[in-house]
Amino acid sequence: MTDYFFLPSWPFVMPRLFWLGVLLLAATLLGELLDRRLRLPRILGYVIAGVVLGPQVTGVLPRSQVVGLAPFLAVAMGIVLFELGSRVDLRWLRRNPWLLATSLLESALAFGAVYAILSVVGTTPLIATAAAAIAVATSPAVVLAVSKQLGAQGQVTERLQLLTALNSVYSFVAFAMLFGWLHMEARGAWGAVAMHPLYLVLGSVALAAAAAVLLLALLALAGPRGDVQTISSLGVVVVAVAVATALKLSVVMALLGMGILTRALDQHRRFLAVSFGYVDELFIMVLFALTGAALDLDLGATALAAGLGLAAARALGKAIPVFAFAKASGLSYRKASLVSVGLLPMSGLAVAMAHEAASIWPGFEPQFGAVVLAAVLILELLGPLAVQFALRRSGDAADAR
Amino acid sequence: MASGPDVGTGTPIQASADALAFKQSAPLSIGVELELQLVETRACDLTRAASDLIALVERRPHPGEIKPEITESMIEVASGIQHRYEALAAELLAVRDVLGAAAEKLNVLVCGGGAHPFQHWAERRIYDRPRFRRLSELYGYLAKQFTVFGQHIHIGCPHGDDALYLVHALGRYVPHFVALAASSPYSQGADTQFESARLNVISAFPLSGRAPFLLRWGDFTEYFAKMRRLGVVESMKDFYWDIRPKPEYGTVEIRVCDTPLTIERAAALAAYAQTLARYLLIERPVQLSEDLLLPYSYNRFQSCRFGFDGDFIDPVTQQHASLRDEIAASIERLEPHARELDTEGALAALAAAARDGASDARWMRHRYALTGSLHDLVWQQCRRWRGDT
Repeated sequence: MTDYFFLPSWPFVMPRLFWLGVLLLAATLLGELLDRRLRLPRILGYVIAGVVLGPQVTGVLPRSQVVGLAPFLAVAMGIVLFELGSRVDLRWLRRNPWLLATSLLESALAFGAVYAILSVVGTTPLIATAAAAIAVATSPAVVLAVSKQLGAQGQVTERLQLLTALNSVYSFVAFAMLFGWLHMEARGAWGAVAMHPLYLVLGSVALAAAAAVLLLALLALAGPRGDVQTISSLGVVVVAVAVATALKLSVVMALLGMGILTRALDQHRRFLAVSFGYVDELFIMVLFALTGAALDLDLGATALAAGLGLAAARALGKAIPVFAFAKASGLSYRKASLVSVGLLPMSGLAVAMAHEAASIWPGFEPQFGAVVLAAVLILELLGPLAVQFALRRSGDAADAR
Repeated sequence: MASGPDVGTGTPIQASADALAFKQSAPLSIGVELELQLVETRACDLTRAASDLIALVERRPHPGEIKPEITESMIEVASGIQHRYEALAAELLAVRDVLGAAAEKLNVLVCGGGAHPFQHWAERRIYDRPRFRRLSELYGYLAKQFTVFGQHIHIGCPHGDDALYLVHALGRYVPHFVALAASSPYSQGADTQFESARLNVISAFPLSGRAPFLLRWGDFTEYFAKMRRLGVVESMKDFYWDIRPKPEYGTVEIRVCDTPLTIERAAALAAYAQTLARYLLIERPVQLSEDLLLPYSYNRFQSCRFGFDGDFIDPVTQQHASLRDEIAASIERLEPHARELDTEGALAALAAAARDGASDARWMRHRYALTGSLHDLVWQQCRRWRGDT
């Protein structure tokens, strides 16, 4: 031991936390800049901060650091999914069945449109199905983050959140089914073909239910104080994310499900007072900045063009049912068009799903990658703008006037 | 706040002598306007839903009227002109159900109550109409704080002098209406200790309070013309008096009631007003003088703060009594008139409420004590409004 053992060692290594802090500060500044100067969504600033500091541009945050921050990303995603899920009122679907019809059909048509366009350009059925399943989902994070940042209230906001949570669930279930097919392609065990999808879906739902029941029990103990309730909720979310990861279940399904079930099972309305307020702005920031850092910008022009085609087909598939059932479900055509615009953002979860699929059948990613990633990239950057446009135009945003 | 079908046309009444012509209306006809809260299902906070709801209900003809109010979180339902309490109650129930069905479709809840227990006034949005925008520019934060919910009762009068007699003779009964309707004990997340905190909000407006003591319609028209010339007001709607004449309807409008938690209570209050008007106009029990109005503010405050337990100074005998006894005595006096108008049942219900101290405000405090959650309280208010409890 030297006399100067109390000094930091050389070469000096900054801990991982430091880089997270740098990322957050950069995201805050850029988000504020975009919001104040250009009236653009803050989350766009977060994504750009991630891209700029990430391995693709400046490399301030090397890939190893981005990977190392994955647990933060998982928790952030968990919170966002839980909160969106808790905004879903299943009783509304019973009172207004046209909404359920809208939801089922917009997902089915988006699936069909994407599958059709990929088949036409000669994509194999497996890959086309996978891309279509992913395309069903609207980004839960973008919809929730933009509507919260705008303080949006109203029919466009409510319906956007409902449809997004539901199509994320459908997308996940469809993708889980696809895992069986992947096992077949990879000549995996027959047991895995049937069991893997079942394990994923049933396991995630069971975890969601258990977490929801636990949370409601805690809320009953905690009493009516809002802050205690919020902290209990955050605690259970973190636990659920950890358990889902450890059991190789789906964090998306488990947390979205936990949100939906907490709301549905809350007979004594104990969850009413829970509000995440500023807390989840932090998680939203982590989520988008890290997503930005992980974005793959290295795409060819053909991939971008194909991605654009995919995005357009998907948009059409989603818009038609929203319009068709607008009047029946009590919405004007004008607002229906805004809901359709709001459904545009594609989920960054697509990337994670593609990685997961590749771990089962390595042939998956190269074929799949470019087009879907291009679509994700386009909609990741345009998505927040689309949602902001929809919420401002509808008058739902607090600053609409 | 502003009421009547001409709300928000944005065109001030033209400066002409007939602006204040008192339209003759069937004596003792009644009509009710109720300002209601629009609440979301997640946390039961106020939400912006009025324009979507109105667009939906306007698609089909329906009983009564459903109209916008100054913020997107409020909506007003109104009855037509009625002559009988039973018919009024039936119409109000029907319009409640029309609104309820539309609200279900949009996942919005509707409830009564004079103020939302925990909303933040700064989050309110002014409804997009020229008149509301003008009020918002003029009154600043007061306009958004005006997110309070009242019941207005109209009573038809044959001519202006009768209307003015009624405006001042009803002054004595203002505390009755305040206590019987009181349903705003909570405001901005706290217990105000008041039975009706809503009226405190209204007192902040420069033209609130009571009408000037004028008894002839000609004098009143002159007063109004002076105020207009001074530029203080543009129309009668700019006066936020507790009781005001409404010449374009030919009515006297009682504006001190919080919106009750149930249609039944709202209809019964209208029946009380109708019966009182009959008694006052036929029997002319008092010779009006300005001295009778000396205890007005004191009595009004007592009723807002303490409800039925408030102190009441009889303006004629100058004796102190509890408001509870004063209401009981008044309803007893009205008996022959109630028989004529078929309002005995409604009045008996109000008398029982006064005797038992069964105000909506007390019900709300009781509910809150059970759960400790204002969110849950609003949920229960919505159930009560629908008639589920």
